[in-house]
Amino acid sequence: MNSPRLLFFLLVSLLPFTTGCTPQNSDAANSAKNVLHLFNWNNYIAPETIARFEKFCKCDLSQDYYADNEEMLAKLAAGATGYDVIVPTGNAIDTLIRQGALRPLDKSLLPNFKNINPAYLDTAFDPGNIYSVPYAYTLSLLGFNKEKIEQLGLPTDTWAIIFEPKYLEKIRGRVTVLDSQRELMAAALKYLGYSVNDTDEKHWREAADLIVRAKPYWAAFSNTSYIKELAVGNLWVAHGYSNDMFQAALDAQKTGRKFTISYSTPKEGAVLAVDSMVLHKSGKRPDLAHQFINFMLDGKNSAELTNLIGSGNPNLDALQYIQPEIANNKAIFPDPELIARLEMLRDLDRKQRRLLSRLWTEIKLR
Amino acid sequence: MKRGNLWLWSAAVLVYAFLYIPLIIVVLYSFNDSRLNAEWVGFTLFWYKALFNNTEMLLAARNSLIIALCASFCATLLGTMSGLAIHRYKLKVLPVLVFTPVAMPEILLGVSILLFFLQVLNFTLGMVSIIIAHATFCIGFVAIIVRARLQGMDESIFEAARDLGASPWQTFRLVTLPLIMPAVVAGALMSFTLSIDDFVITFFTKGVGEPILPIQIYTMIKVAVTPEVNAISTLLMLLTLIMISMAARLESSGSSEGSAKPRKTAK
Amino acid sequence: MKEKQLARLLVSGPPLLFLIVFFVAPSLIMILTSFRFPGEFGGLAPIMPPLEKAAGEHGFTSDAYQFFFSDFIYAEIFLKSFAVAFGTTLICLILAYPLAVLIARSRKHLRNLMVLLVILPFASNFLIRIYAWMIILGPESALSHFVNTVLGAFGIAPVTLLFSPFAVLVGMVYVHLPFMVLPLYTNLEKHDPSLLDAAQDLGANAWQRFWRVTWPLSLPGVFSGSALVFIPVLGMFAVPDILGGTGDILIGNLIKDQFLGTRDWPFGSALSIMLTLAVLSVAGLTAWLARSATGQRAI
Repeated sequence: MNSPRLLFFLLVSLLPFTTGCTPQNSDAANSAKNVLHLFNWNNYIAPETIARFEKFCKCDLSQDYYADNEEMLAKLAAGATGYDVIVPTGNAIDTLIRQGALRPLDKSLLPNFKNINPAYLDTAFDPGNIYSVPYAYTLSLLGFNKEKIEQLGLPTDTWAIIFEPKYLEKIRGRVTVLDSQRELMAAALKYLGYSVNDTDEKHWREAADLIVRAKPYWAAFSNTSYIKELAVGNLWVAHGYSNDMFQAALDAQKTGRKFTISYSTPKEGAVLAVDSMVLHKSGKRPDLAHQFINFMLDGKNSAELTNLIGSGNPNLDALQYIQPEIANNKAIFPDPELIARLEMLRDLDRKQRRLLSRLWTEIKLR
Repeated sequence: MKRGNLWLWSAAVLVYAFLYIPLIIVVLYSFNDSRLNAEWVGFTLFWYKALFNNTEMLLAARNSLIIALCASFCATLLGTMSGLAIHRYKLKVLPVLVFTPVAMPEILLGVSILLFFLQVLNFTLGMVSIIIAHATFCIGFVAIIVRARLQGMDESIFEAARDLGASPWQTFRLVTLPLIMPAVVAGALMSFTLSIDDFVITFFTKGVGEPILPIQIYTMIKVAVTPEVNAISTLLMLLTLIMISMAARLESSGSSEGSAKPRKTAK
Repeated sequence: MKEKQLARLLVSGPPLLFLIVFFVAPSLIMILTSFRFPGEFGGLAPIMPPLEKAAGEHGFTSDAYQFFFSDFIYAEIFLKSFAVAFGTTLICLILAYPLAVLIARSRKHLRNLMVLLVILPFASNFLIRIYAWMIILGPESALSHFVNTVLGAFGIAPVTLLFSPFAVLVGMVYVHLPFMVLPLYTNLEKHDPSLLDAAQDLGANAWQRFWRVTWPLSLPGVFSGSALVFIPVLGMFAVPDILGGTGDILIGNLIKDQFLGTRDWPFGSALSIMLTLAVLSVAGLTAWLARSATGQRAI
């Protein structure tokens, strides 16, 4: 009676070879074809845009995703190669430039570059935009269950609502904050009146103490589940990203909830995260990459993402294509005086990273 | 005695309830007609349909299957050899190397293989790295099962074979292998299940560009938990249920004939 | 006896080679990594100073370990993780024991069915089981409402079940319970029922029969099951990640953060080495206890 069992086992073990693929990167077969490899955030490009680009360049767009800059950096460090275009946030671009991992842009291939709002160009980490072109931006801000917060009489324009016990005790267990070392520290530093890029250890400790004091009132640290929890009504205040809040507000509206989700940037200022397109030096098709970047710099294409997820748009040409409710939303397109109070994060060196990591561990443990 | 039995039965029922109620909820909510899946709205098969249209999920499932098959093949082969060797020869080094990966927290194995591939081999992480990592910790499981089966056997069978002039290879092929086959198959199925469900080691050793099922689910849980997550897990439970029953059926039929009783052969 | 030597080599050789390359070498690399500097902006600093640029940090250092010992907070996380692991093991033992006894005493077919029913949840995806508890413990769930109603009757303020140490513990127990049941029942099955009959004839009541006959005989199973629960819990990060609240960080989360958050590989490796040493000590201690308690090797 051995044969049937042995036969079954052998057949089953031959299955992988019949699926026509030895364990390899599934993109390996693509390397011969006309493929552009894009490494992008989850849900950060509209499907219609991809389809239109593929028709335009007569090529295929292959996308891989990450949910966090650190995840992307870790994967690149883990030897991930072959990406033509990546869309990191400012401080990650900082890192990549310092690591020498990027290819300079050929501006002659990017006639649409002029569409970008000069306010978003010439950043501290990439002066002259040698390596990067702005793609979209988000603000880290506070989202609210509008009716509930009004009912409780709490302020909606300041970080105090998540840091001051006198406000927190009314919303205990109904608040979440971002599970990100940099983001939460930045919010605390801003509230205390310091810059988000302040690296003075004393100021960091002040911020850490502020956080630890408020922590008992918070439900959890959450990077993504707050979207659902807000939309469902379990959470009343959430520290999160502007396009996530847009999503939550939309969800709450669509499911006919009795409350609405509103969101605004605190008056003390906040983190501005500008995601830019860069060329990784291991990419095999810089020609397609430049075509893609120029394509996305066209106002119409750029506006599609904004209309889809409510992301901020640094492209002046895109404004005419953006839906009016979004274009007029001050949380997504802030006034100039608020822009002045927004800051982009810079990267930290290894000693600072270690110190921050220890502070973060203390924050989590106390 | 009877009162004691009542206590035992109630405790057992409570534990089973504890084990199953969450799963029943998961299965039930896979049919829920609500995107946010926070409360029950209505019955629908939409999510199963959505699942079959979700190319990324299907790709992830395919990748996981391939990895599981390759990893369990390697692990079964090497694990059977280990189990035999450890039982037969009084080895000192091999048992430690085989059983330690089983006893270690998975995160250590994942991290060390990640570092090894990156620094020493300069090898891009991908399906191969996952397969090797899975095989490494599955070898121990197979070895344990095979060795346990060998320990319960009557050594005189092997001596008899040797006395009759069989070479070690013949002894293995005609006597040992048939007798341990149920354990080998059980080990293979166990490795398969462990590999398909493995999260921690896969998390560290996976490359980019290849979705793997547990990681897909993890991303879904953290980002957007639609009933699709419930649907895929219901299907996974079904799949593993089938495999485990097959394993159980094979093992029990094996143990009734594979016992060390001489078969009646026509002379 | 050359054929025998050859056979021995052929059988033990390949697994040995495989494990040396893919288990021993990686472990050594991890030890080595813990003694290096992290790269300024990621990865690792080189061992030899680079020729072209000015030499930054390079070579070996015990920096990472000094960092570990410089603050009690890391030891605190270790202790906390051990406490959670110990608590999980204890609860699993209490829940699993009656079930294991019942399974061991049942007849063959019922026994196989019961074992299958225990393993079956284990067959579903690990994360799904954790996710299921997100639903059950959520603030709007039936269970939460029930608990808070009961607490309200006693005048206690409502509690959140999810995102709390309680949720983490429930998740850990849930995921590891089958690992405790199986070794226990395997051991209990081998007990000779006539021993219990003899004890009863000698006048022992139910508790005495359990405590003085069943329990001591079951100790090897208890130790195996405990090991199979304790050690995995120590390295787990997904449960605190998904079910935990603001204070629920365990050693697994910390290690993961070093590799995927702070880009501090040396410190992450150092933490992993410390964890390995901790696990080995616990395993060694348990084996010694088991041996002295049962007078035989437990494993």
